[in-house]
Amino acid sequence: MFNRREFILTAATVPVVAASRAFAQDRKVLQVYTDGDTNISDWWNNVIKPAFEAAHPDLTFNLTITRGVADGNTTIGQRVMAAMQSNTDPQADYFEEFDPADVEGSIEAGLWTTIDTSNVPNLAMINPAATDLPVRLPYRGSQVLIAYDSAKVAEAPKTFADILAFAKANPGRFTYGRPDKGGSGSNFVIRAIHEANGRDPAAFTRENFDPAKAEEMLQKAWAVLQDLHPHTFGEGTYPAGNTPALQLLAQGAVDMIPAWSDQALQAINQGVLPDTVKVVQLQDLALCGGFAYSAIPSNATDHAGAMTLANFMLSPEMQVSCVREIGGFPGIGWEHLPPELKAEYIDVIPVSIPTFPSGDWQTAKNDGWYKNVATNLTRD
Amino acid sequence: MPADGIAAASAPGRNSAPYEGLRGLLLVAAPIALVILLVILPTSAMVLGSFRVGDGFGADRYLAFFADAYSMANLRYTVFWTLASTVSALALSFGLALYLRFSTGRLAAIVHALSLFPLFVPAIIISYALVRFLGPNGLFQLLLEQVGITGYRTPYLTPIGPYIAFIWESLPLPVLVLTAGLTQVSDSAIEAARDLGAGAGRIVAEILLPQLQRPLIIAFALVFLGTIGSYTIPYLLGPPAPEMMGVYIARTMGNLQRPDEAAVQAVILLAIASVVGLIYIATMARAGRQ
Repeated sequence: MFNRREFILTAATVPVVAASRAFAQDRKVLQVYTDGDTNISDWWNNVIKPAFEAAHPDLTFNLTITRGVADGNTTIGQRVMAAMQSNTDPQADYFEEFDPADVEGSIEAGLWTTIDTSNVPNLAMINPAATDLPVRLPYRGSQVLIAYDSAKVAEAPKTFADILAFAKANPGRFTYGRPDKGGSGSNFVIRAIHEANGRDPAAFTRENFDPAKAEEMLQKAWAVLQDLHPHTFGEGTYPAGNTPALQLLAQGAVDMIPAWSDQALQAINQGVLPDTVKVVQLQDLALCGGFAYSAIPSNATDHAGAMTLANFMLSPEMQVSCVREIGGFPGIGWEHLPPELKAEYIDVIPVSIPTFPSGDWQTAKNDGWYKNVATNLTRD
Repeated sequence: MPADGIAAASAPGRNSAPYEGLRGLLLVAAPIALVILLVILPTSAMVLGSFRVGDGFGADRYLAFFADAYSMANLRYTVFWTLASTVSALALSFGLALYLRFSTGRLAAIVHALSLFPLFVPAIIISYALVRFLGPNGLFQLLLEQVGITGYRTPYLTPIGPYIAFIWESLPLPVLVLTAGLTQVSDSAIEAARDLGAGAGRIVAEILLPQLQRPLIIAFALVFLGTIGSYTIPYLLGPPAPEMMGVYIARTMGNLQRPDEAAVQAVILLAIASVVGLIYIATMARAGRQ
């Protein structure tokens, strides 16, 4: 019935436009917008798309990468908002790596679909730590972990104090990136701030910033990091970003660094980091991280199709792929994933996912670090 | 007639017809307008804005900069390492230029090509290449260990890292300028000195260097100005603190979101660069008159 050679010959000679039109008639094409990095957009195109088409013969999607163009997905969100107000076709169905709160007034205006188990049945499996706003779907996460070379580090650190102890016992074998140049170093500094202030992430909110109080709270963290400073690689020569820190680990110059879960796991899978490198999460208080969200406009061109895609993204199959392919954390609870996967990643599964507010706290953290830790000048 | 017109336009000072001068002005009008619109206007606005205090003017932000130990450390660091790498690059390129002046043949051609090679390599490439080469457990350390030298301490993330990269990156310009300058020293002058028994050192000190004064100043200014405002190399290869001013300004502006302070830092950097820029312009003007 189906002659493969003939099909290939025909496909090769038929003009591309005609081919894509025929394709579009067979399947409804959803318009998906992603703001994610290359590893994420590659994952969507190379893994999710074929799997989605196989599971739903009547649907497919066209992925538009908005990363680095104007304000990325926020700009597209504003256009969808304008389309709703003027009652026109928004030409958008699904937003990936996007926070609806970034489009001002859009949540209040009812632009985003409220997600619950009636329209996304798989939401029943969601990790309770991940849900907050019902209009955004937390379908994957990443967090900063401690990456270490198990060939050189006898015992994996379980607490912040373990890291300090390791660094002091092994001078120059630990380092972290500068806090303004990448999240891995930044979240390590934040972890020190948490450590010095009762390990209570809730003590830091966007609204409670007060310069005098912040100075006092941060000063305690600078003392911890100043104490660590002479024991780090090069006696306080912090690498300038996530990748330079990973590079030091890859070159065997250090044995332990904080690293993003997805970057570290992917580097290990690709052989950029030796396979003796393991990752572990601190058990007394995890390093910070966060979830990536999806959102679906209520005026989506193909709303039903978009909801199908949302449900598909929360399926155990795609959630396993999220862990395996991009080193992300699943949005659904680990108990809904194969037990062997959980066993494999047991060391990195966080008990909690702390966060740190943006805005003034970040500025005070970065500026304070440069003036107090990088220079290692104690201020009286 | 057209040939005369071109000749006249290329030497406007010698032509008495007023419209010929106007034609010359028209030719440069577009670039001058661009410079005024995109460089002079915004720079003036920034310089003026950096002195704005409330509704009036004052030097408050500058006083704050000079009173801040961290900012001053960054400024001293920037000037010191810019001077150090500029002088080193000049010394190295002087040696190269001397070699190229007095040597011919295939080897000299290869050396010439190699000395210009950094011109075609972007700063970010050389930065990452140096991390791999000079970095911890990099190729250089492995080579040293092959011949039994241990105890290597990498210059990566120390002031020496950007120092090496600056020299590497800025080598071609002074080599070009000094080679051109040396070709103007006549062979007969050097041969005469040799005949009178002058050694190589004496020829360099008493014949070459005096005639190279202007190319040396021009090369110094070009390298200094290219280095003092650099960003990528000190960002990737240098220590976290002190910071080069370029990195510091970018961080103040982008990460700390304090454009007022960034403007003050930029104006101070501009002032230092202007001094060297003026020396350059004065040298060029002198060259033009002669």
